[in-house]
Amino acid sequence: MFEYVFRGLLSGTVYALLALPMTLLFTTAATVDFAIGAYALLAAAVATAIAGPLGIAAGLLSAVLASGVMAILFVLLKRTKGEGIRVALASFGLSLAISSIVLIVWGTKPFARQTFTTMLEFGGLRVNPQWLINLAIAGALVGLTWLVIHRTQLGRMMRAAAVNAPGAELAAIPVIGVQCATLLAGGLLGGMAGLLLMHTSGLDFTASLGLTFIGFAAAIIFGIQSPLRCLAGGLAIGVIEALAAGYTTGMVTSMVPSLFMLIVLLSGQLGASRYSGDRP
Amino acid sequence: MHTIKKIAIAMLATAGVVWPGLGFSQAKPPVKVGAVLSMSGPAAVFGIPERDTLVALNKEFGGNMDGRKVDIVFCDDKTNPTEAARCVTQLINDEKVVAIIGPGTGSGILAAGPVADRLKVPLLGPAGTVAITDRGNAFFPWIFRIAPNDTAGMDALWRLIVKNGAKKVAVIYQEDAYGKFGAEFAQKLSKDLGFTIVESVGVPYTATDLTPQVTKFRNAGADAVFMQLSVTSLGATFLKAVNEVGLKVPLYANSGLAQKGFIDAAGPLGEGVRVLSIGNLPYDPTPPEQKLSAILVKNGFQPTGWGDLLASNGYYTIKAALQKINGPVTGQAMRDTIESLCNFETMTMGKACFSKDNHDGWGSDAVILTTIRDGKFRSDTK
Repeated sequence: MFEYVFRGLLSGTVYALLALPMTLLFTTAATVDFAIGAYALLAAAVATAIAGPLGIAAGLLSAVLASGVMAILFVLLKRTKGEGIRVALASFGLSLAISSIVLIVWGTKPFARQTFTTMLEFGGLRVNPQWLINLAIAGALVGLTWLVIHRTQLGRMMRAAAVNAPGAELAAIPVIGVQCATLLAGGLLGGMAGLLLMHTSGLDFTASLGLTFIGFAAAIIFGIQSPLRCLAGGLAIGVIEALAAGYTTGMVTSMVPSLFMLIVLLSGQLGASRYSGDRP
Repeated sequence: MHTIKKIAIAMLATAGVVWPGLGFSQAKPPVKVGAVLSMSGPAAVFGIPERDTLVALNKEFGGNMDGRKVDIVFCDDKTNPTEAARCVTQLINDEKVVAIIGPGTGSGILAAGPVADRLKVPLLGPAGTVAITDRGNAFFPWIFRIAPNDTAGMDALWRLIVKNGAKKVAVIYQEDAYGKFGAEFAQKLSKDLGFTIVESVGVPYTATDLTPQVTKFRNAGADAVFMQLSVTSLGATFLKAVNEVGLKVPLYANSGLAQKGFIDAAGPLGEGVRVLSIGNLPYDPTPPEQKLSAILVKNGFQPTGWGDLLASNGYYTIKAALQKINGPVTGQAMRDTIESLCNFETMTMGKACFSKDNHDGWGSDAVILTTIRDGKFRSDTK
């Protein structure tokens, strides 16, 4: 039991990292970027193509550039008063386009890198050191994001932009600038998640939507408004997946996490606004 | 004047020789062949090499089969059964194709089967899904399989697993028709061969961590693992999990993982894994496979594996049918002729043979057991 929970917590950290950009964008623009998984895929593809640390930098840059395209789409849709769901739908389109580009340029080969061949042992429990790196990076980024949103001037501007955009503009807050910067930050975070996955399990051209969905699930399960909640969501999904794999068989295994999410969302307790307290 | 006369006579004589030849080629009007392949989506790992091989072969033979110009018209089914049925309809109605290689997946073929039946054009399916050539299907007459089916060679692989001493085997499979079928077939074989399936776990394509599944296998005391996977990154993820958890048992895989991408992604962790393979084009090719490799390379493509071989099966099946048809080439004529083809020229292992009752062109002699050694699939001697 302990081993399953432990392994679930480790895999959940990457889910939290995918959820983080969703939380950020929802906090500032009250919409969702469904191309997060595609940024992760693109970063992994570019990093695999270029050897060494330069590949990592190029991977992150490509993810940020891709999110820049999303920022342009966002601005265009905002000008035509087509925010919200249309932005989310546009991000779906961008996600498909990025996946196709990856398929055309890199083909069907998987993007994977094995950094560690020696495992760490804790009392009979073998762990790939990469998971601990994932844990440290995801924990640090979630903490940093929480601090930025809740303890800085920039964070107040981000929240104001989402709660009352016209009011924020009247208060001289560059709303569109803040929202575009958030989209770019989302690209960076998505890219980092992709690089961690590349060093952990690997991914291929089909991964983008699957990663987006799991990130979205982690973001909404306990309330999308807070980075800490998305960390909790990611960890919870990781643990539930691991327990389901350990104690159920066949295709029931992959149904359990979905059922868990459905029950939590239907119960309306953990994600309810009275518990979130982040938004008036 | 004499010279002019001589030239005129020579020209007439030349025309007399050449004209019948020209007339002969004109007597065979061009035909269009469709290729509905999964060039995007999860099955693109097979669809892209299939497309490349058809392009290479058609280019190699100057777009001719049996002195007849052949145009191959492609349509991407996007690994989506609905798209597959739409592509088949479009190619038959708009392009007037007389046969179609594809759709690219078993579910796509099953979705497009009724269309082929209604519009009377045969489908040559490059998929192992057993159900596509089930005689109970109303569209059975119109579907021909150009791949070994999913059971081909599995019996030999499972006998090897048992022979190597495994009694308690764990099965990991991907959550789709291919994965589920392999897991169920293993369960069925266990009774005959005398082993036990201690765990059977399905995983989605995009699983990022399989250590809990491997932990479960270890706790169940599995002494061998069988992988029914075709998504290469998933296969590599599983091997990483095996290494992380420290499960030290023999690993076996069905032909879905006989892809270069699996070796590339798994790296040293793939060493020693036994994999069933449809031919062995990139590593230990037979002489006909070497010929196909040379054609691919000459036309700017890299041999990747069995996607290339299946497409070549489709190409040579159509070529053999066209050679045999006397008279107008229609969908009905193609169907009737394909049904009569046996032991015709191909570039793959095994004897290809169709009949009225058997629409599975290739059998277990088209697959071979391999072991990953030094980053390559090395064929066992047959």
